[in-house]
Amino acid sequence: MAEQDDLAQSLEAHRKYLQRYAQFHLRDASLAEDAVQDTLIAALAQRDRFQGRSQLRTWLTGILKHKIIDLTRSRGRGLPADALVLGEDSDSNDGSFNAKGKWVDPPADWGMPDAALESNQFWRVYQDCCQRMSRRDALVFSMREVMGLSSEEICKKIEITTTNLHVILFRARLSLRSCMSKNWFGTHHD
Amino acid sequence: MIKLMYSCKQAAKLSSRAMEQPLAPAERVLLSLHLLMCKGCTGFAQQIEFLRRASRKIPEVLEKDGD
Repeated sequence: MAEQDDLAQSLEAHRKYLQRYAQFHLRDASLAEDAVQDTLIAALAQRDRFQGRSQLRTWLTGILKHKIIDLTRSRGRGLPADALVLGEDSDSNDGSFNAKGKWVDPPADWGMPDAALESNQFWRVYQDCCQRMSRRDALVFSMREVMGLSSEEICKKIEITTTNLHVILFRARLSLRSCMSKNWFGTHHD
Repeated sequence: MIKLMYSCKQAAKLSSRAMEQPLAPAERVLLSLHLLMCKGCTGFAQQIEFLRRASRKIPEVLEKDGD
């Protein structure tokens, strides 16, 4: 029993991080809390599978990813299956291109963007820009780019076609790119 | 007449798809042809690659937000 308490205590130490991780993907504090709670319970139940091969946090994050996906699926939050049936051209209304398919506002040079990765302000802008996408687009985008799931995995897990996935990712990238251009790369900052 | 030139929208869409799956040989050729002549689309392709690199760092950023 003492051993059980030890694990429970170490799990508790990761709760805040897991909450931030879940909140980033789900954009809903109470839904994120549910995902974290489910994760900690699952971790206690599957404690035998954790053999110190990886960091505890890495292991917990792995479980949390699945819980996040399960939650959005079971509650249909942000991922209504029917609404995902998108026309070929549903990405054309975001105003990035004119009727002839030319850039309305062609992407300007970002110089050496990697330096920005060291700036806290950059990450605040990045997170604000993610918030501007629809909840569904943001989640699909973050499953792909933040969780690093493969295209095939995402299609299978949330039951969308490859074409739909490409449409969503394209729209998300257009939106994030343009928002970062306006609010970070096109502005002066320290 | 066969349309040999992609519009910027087509080129950008393909640059995005290329991050998900290999393009068909013809698509690759037409895309590079467009990119050779279009600064905006070249920038777009580089910037979405950069955004992928950045996104992968989000877990680290969330760690630094302090416990």
